[in-house]
Amino acid sequence: MEAGTLHTDGNEAAGILQQIFVAEVTAAGRVCQSCRQDHPIGAHRLYHGAGLVLRCPNCGDLAACITVRPDSNVISLHGTWSLARSE
Amino acid sequence: MRAETPSAKTLVLDVPDWPGHAAGQHVDIRLTAEDGYQAQRSYSIASAPESRALELTVERIDEGEVSPYLTEEAQVDDQFELRGPIGGYFVWRARYEEPLLLVAGGSGLVPLMAMLRHRRAAGGAADARLLLSARSLEDVLYRDELGVLDSVQVGITLTRGAAPPGWEGWTRRIDRDMLLEVGPEPERRPRVYVCGPTPFVEEAARLLVELGHEPTGVHTERFGPTGG
Repeated sequence: MEAGTLHTDGNEAAGILQQIFVAEVTAAGRVCQSCRQDHPIGAHRLYHGAGLVLRCPNCGDLAACITVRPDSNVISLHGTWSLARSE
Repeated sequence: MRAETPSAKTLVLDVPDWPGHAAGQHVDIRLTAEDGYQAQRSYSIASAPESRALELTVERIDEGEVSPYLTEEAQVDDQFELRGPIGGYFVWRARYEEPLLLVAGGSGLVPLMAMLRHRRAAGGAADARLLLSARSLEDVLYRDELGVLDSVQVGITLTRGAAPPGWEGWTRRIDRDMLLEVGPEPERRPRVYVCGPTPFVEEAARLLVELGHEPTGVHTERFGPTGG
């Protein structure tokens, strides 16, 4: 299977991210700790497994891991997330 | 409920206290079985923010867990657990003045249709173009409406089987020449929205950047094999 068929993108995680941050964050930017590129969270690659993994769309380094539990969602963040709220 | 194609239906929902949405946003729908098993999927909103009803167009994925239920079994007056509106990156607003280029693969047309409906309802003046890739003509969502969209240049390519008699559109997978023909020129710095299955979006985004479009101006939304 091609790597390109395994992922979707951060838009699909918008709902769970909104639950965690209590705000819409997919339009917010994140600077990758490895390649230093800045991409909106919605443009990141999203991988589904035991949980959800967000990766930099340029270099593939880790951006976030989300563990979904029946009673709570746990997120660990990597790189610099710049969360701005508009409107 | 409205049949759009042999495999897609539009669900018209009445959501109490709906706060309103932006074109391009989606909702998450969660179904719970009698034994407590839950399945959740994201569905794009098809209706304009100006529309009174909330409409979702759902494509049936045969081996899916949620879409067969929504397209085959759901009945008028059924109730769903719905969360939304969700999303902020893949959003277009009629006040944006840049030219608008929409590129859709299959049911990736749904959120882009919300943008075109929003543009029409809000009287948006931005130059708008749509390139749609579909398997066959009968798989084209909103076919009648696409034919009468005011001042939107619509190009359709059919990728599977023989084209119907008299077909004047393309009959191949999207490529560089097709995107060049659809335009607008990258120098005009259009806002671009690409939505479809992951391989389609990857290819379209790659071609657009290769043609000189600003990577930051190309907004993407993918749906994958886990969908349905």
